[in-house]
Amino acid sequence: MGSGEIGSPCITGATMPPLLLVTLVFTLSALAYWQGRRRAFALMVRPAAVKMHSRPGYYGMLTALWCALPALAIVIVWQLAAEPLLTSLAMKGLTAARDHLSPDQQGLLINDLRNLVAGNATGREIDPLLQAAADRYIGMHQVSNMALAVVALATAVIAAYLVQARINPELRARNQVERAIEILLSLCSTLAVFITIGIVLSVLFESLRFFQKIPFFDFLFGLQWSPQMAMRADQAGSSGSFGAIPVLAGTFLISGIAMAIAVPLGLMSAVYLSEYAGPKSRTIIKPLLEILAGIPTVVYGFFAALIVAPWIRNAGLTFGLSVSSESALAAGLVMGIMIIPFVSSLSDDVINAVPQSLRDGSYALGATRSETIKQVILPAALPGIVGSILLAVSRAIGETMIVVMAAGLAANLTLNPLQAVTTVTVQIVTLLVGDQEFDSPKTLAAFALGMLLFVVTLVLNVIALYVVRKYREEYE
Amino acid sequence: MDRVNVGLAKRYRKERRFRLFGLAAIIASLLFLVLLLGSITSKGWTAFQQTQILLDVYFDPLALDVKNLATANYASLVNHAVQVLFPQVESREDKRRLGKLISSGAAFDLQKMVINNPELIGTNQALWVVAKDEVDMFAKGYIPRNVPESERRVSDKQIAWIDQLAAAGRLKKRFNTTFFQAGDSREPELAGIRGAVMGSMFTLIVTLALAFPIGVAAAVYLEEFAPKNRWTDLIEVNVNNLAAIPSIVFGLLGLAVFLNFMNLPRSASLVGGLVLTLMTLPTIIIASRASLKSVPPSIREAALGIGASKMQTISHHILPLALPGMMTGTIIGMARALGETAPLLMIGMVAFIVDVPHSFSDPATVLPVQIYLWADSPERAFVERTSAAIMVLLFILLLMNGAAVFLRNKFERRW
Amino acid sequence: MQKIGYTLAAASLMLASAATTTMATEGRDYISMVGSGTVYPFAAAVAEQFGKTSKFKTPKIEATGTGGGMKLFCAGAGVDTPDITNASRQMKKSEMEACEKNGVTEVVEVRVGYDGIVFANSKKAAPMQLSRKDIYLALAKQVPSPAGGDKLVANPYKTWKDVNPALPANKIEVFGPAPISGTRDAFTELVMDNGCETFPFIKAMEKSDAKQFKAVCQTLREDGGYVEAGDNYNLIVQKLETSPASMGIFGFSYLDQNGDKVQGSMIDGSIPTFENIASGKYVVSRPLFFYVKKAHVGVVPGINEYIAEFTSDRAWGKEGYLAEKGLIPAPAEERKANAEIAKSLKPMVMK
Repeated sequence: MGSGEIGSPCITGATMPPLLLVTLVFTLSALAYWQGRRRAFALMVRPAAVKMHSRPGYYGMLTALWCALPALAIVIVWQLAAEPLLTSLAMKGLTAARDHLSPDQQGLLINDLRNLVAGNATGREIDPLLQAAADRYIGMHQVSNMALAVVALATAVIAAYLVQARINPELRARNQVERAIEILLSLCSTLAVFITIGIVLSVLFESLRFFQKIPFFDFLFGLQWSPQMAMRADQAGSSGSFGAIPVLAGTFLISGIAMAIAVPLGLMSAVYLSEYAGPKSRTIIKPLLEILAGIPTVVYGFFAALIVAPWIRNAGLTFGLSVSSESALAAGLVMGIMIIPFVSSLSDDVINAVPQSLRDGSYALGATRSETIKQVILPAALPGIVGSILLAVSRAIGETMIVVMAAGLAANLTLNPLQAVTTVTVQIVTLLVGDQEFDSPKTLAAFALGMLLFVVTLVLNVIALYVVRKYREEYE
Repeated sequence: MDRVNVGLAKRYRKERRFRLFGLAAIIASLLFLVLLLGSITSKGWTAFQQTQILLDVYFDPLALDVKNLATANYASLVNHAVQVLFPQVESREDKRRLGKLISSGAAFDLQKMVINNPELIGTNQALWVVAKDEVDMFAKGYIPRNVPESERRVSDKQIAWIDQLAAAGRLKKRFNTTFFQAGDSREPELAGIRGAVMGSMFTLIVTLALAFPIGVAAAVYLEEFAPKNRWTDLIEVNVNNLAAIPSIVFGLLGLAVFLNFMNLPRSASLVGGLVLTLMTLPTIIIASRASLKSVPPSIREAALGIGASKMQTISHHILPLALPGMMTGTIIGMARALGETAPLLMIGMVAFIVDVPHSFSDPATVLPVQIYLWADSPERAFVERTSAAIMVLLFILLLMNGAAVFLRNKFERRW
Repeated sequence: MQKIGYTLAAASLMLASAATTTMATEGRDYISMVGSGTVYPFAAAVAEQFGKTSKFKTPKIEATGTGGGMKLFCAGAGVDTPDITNASRQMKKSEMEACEKNGVTEVVEVRVGYDGIVFANSKKAAPMQLSRKDIYLALAKQVPSPAGGDKLVANPYKTWKDVNPALPANKIEVFGPAPISGTRDAFTELVMDNGCETFPFIKAMEKSDAKQFKAVCQTLREDGGYVEAGDNYNLIVQKLETSPASMGIFGFSYLDQNGDKVQGSMIDGSIPTFENIASGKYVVSRPLFFYVKKAHVGVVPGINEYIAEFTSDRAWGKEGYLAEKGLIPAPAEERKANAEIAKSLKPMVMK
């Protein structure tokens, strides 16, 4: 299909680039605004001063909208329709002579045509018929652009004039303008939905192409991950096995280590902050913990690769253990530090939401503070805390930069934190940075991994958010 | 009563232990923070200084007698100036090693000087030129003297020459302006963050220009206009989920849609900004909704009571009051976008780009990606510069978050 | 409502400014390069020099691996495809065919010098003395059975001592390039093929069943003995530093630039030094190339001038700045011949 050549490059001459045209339309509509407003004012201050339905600005706005929207619609539709139409018209002379060509070869011809039009030298013998077609195309394109400019501007001016002429006291301009703005707002909100749909579709589409080449269960349950396949037929590469279990195991190992650090530290910090700390220390400590969350993950990755990993390795050597230089422990440790604020601030909110009556009842029975916390508050807050832990797990699984810089590249099915493992996100980055061919199973495997990641984090998030929200309602 | 008193001491001890655990947890977390910042600062603060050498350069008119001043052999001028300082050096090998004390950037500095001011030809000038990165590392103490020569990047002879220069007052550490003015380079002493900072700026401008209006508009619609039905519930769940999706998935989306389908230029700030917009949008929507919700109903009702339409209520009364909260949320979203690396790796902003970008479609890189690229380079001098770049990034983030907190404290009203 | 009017006016101004900036940059005005990670440091040095001494923009270079670069290069002839691809091996016939199929017909091949492939480890460990047979036995997926005979088994060797009793008892862990890399291709051809030919029955296979021969000799083990590290040779150097028992495969330039941290192993009796590679005494060496799309010359500004810079003696000569970065310069006649090809943009002919 037409590859988005809105405003083909290199066609100079008396044409108007669409962006300039759009700007002109906007300027015209600004003028229309002033004009409409003036007319409304004029009506108001005439000797027979009439009460208008809306304030003058709304009349101006109405005029401006009528000026701009139809013209912009014309520009958009024209641009989308012009390219295929012009191409087919230009090729008419050719295809008659070359009807016997397969669609592939016709596609090549069209490609050549586009190259000629864009001014790229193809280096080959230029078929005079093709050149003629290209010249025809360029000519028609120029004419089309000029026609577009004329039609769009004319529409804008005429529409503005017509609307302006219809301005009278009964015209309910405000309602119309507000309805238009409301529609615009709702379009913006559906964009958020489209993003999700876009993610799902694009990742799903490529993943399905992947699963056509590699069976789904081989991917999900296979135990060998060696994706670096041969690039060409005459090259010997890896076996091309795409079993995701070692990669998933690595992800869970590192996330597990991270949670083992973040949960105790985060939870106890939250408990201390909400139960023991005075208001002054709270205002100091809480922002400091938030800083941990605000540090970019590439900084954590650098810290992990350069400082933590060698330190762990040296410590391991003094104990006689063989520690890999990219141990899961290093990456997991730093990831845990990063997640502490997530657990701590979410748990803090949840613990604070527990009603004071529960605490008072417990103290009234003679319990100490820690007993109250351990036996009354934490159980009460448990659903919310679990929710926050799930959100933190989802964050750990999806983390990329720390593991790219500090974890390994070889898929290793192990539970030993001193060895190097690789994670889903590292493999996505490794497979996609560089080779971009969207046909090889290697590139598509990255999308399949991405889909896996998306689904897992989605499920975790949905459960976590549901639990947290439900918990909030219970006490309200 | 006795039974209670017997266990009391134990319970108090448990209480103290528990409290200490909590305090220890906080102290441990803060300790990690201090450790992180401290280690990076200790590695990076020396990067703000640069070793420079004072040379007396003679702008030989014979060497500069060419039609195109840009292509003259300025390196020979530099080499000559250095050899003049060490007349005892004779062999060709040694002379080459002598020339290696000075950075290749010095020749370009001379080129720029001559092109700007051709009057310099034929004169003698005393100039401070940048030393090579090995000399810099040695002067800062990162290359130790006492290891065997084969394990050092500077040879014994070079150390002798460096000491000589230092004794003559010709070797000094001065403020490293190159770091802030230059773009990326393969030579560590010539590498700077300007290209990355400009790239980040362009990218953030695109993100802000797109994400803020769309996010606020969506939040206004969802909060004020949308009917409360299952569809809008779904949208809310959807937005909350989008905010928690790993950023790399947005990179995949950008790769599949913007690069593959729409054929936008790779490595341009425009595409980076688009991807980051998709990522920041949910955050802005959530923050804006929260601040819209916090405006008390009494304001709404008062406005409606005196005859304003719904749209007028929103635009004249509610939005201005909710604006500080929205801006705080936006600034925090922007700060998060500034630190993002993974999605930009996917769309190709990992190329080696020397020129500082000047428009939205120039190839560019952003500061976190630059840090990632430099972290892979093995030259010792790059470790120092990476840490310094991290310090700059953290400083910018500190400013942004500080601005958000300031805005929040100054303008937010508690009803 | 007045504000809306101002907003409209402001929006049009913004659009106009955006329009003018994007209008001005229609059509790419910088050279786009992809390809080998081995040639990357040299190309980057030339690009920087070129950018600073000419009025053209500095080229944009991405290290994608030779294979990846060829794919991108041959994807089409349009302006959105790269102009130049760097390669650490010659373009293969299948790649040439792919190029022609997609409309890229005139490609200029320029040979820029030589590079050795080294088998390195950290200076903290003892230097190794290896033969190509040792390397083959250590890294191949299938090796002749240790019991003898003509059978092939999955590689059972875990330490270097298992392969050759004279070597230390370190675990076999080698970081090397992935199939996208030309260095990988060159390594398998120069080292693995040679190593497995020392077994007569495999050598016989070369004539009888070439495909099987390739599969046996060039398939590397996937059980952790050989770890693929993309095309990021700097990363391999760093990994060697932190784990002295491991080994790494990369080009000589990376050894040269990091000579204080890593050392090259002796292979079949010679160590990798500048002189040994230039003289051919160190057997694992191969030429480096870059390929230019003739069709882009003139469309994208600066290509001729960039090529002129790369092929000038100042860059690739014996005293040039590329030699300082570890490039082994080609003999003078070869340099002259290639400079001629580059200047006249003579398209290559695939034999």
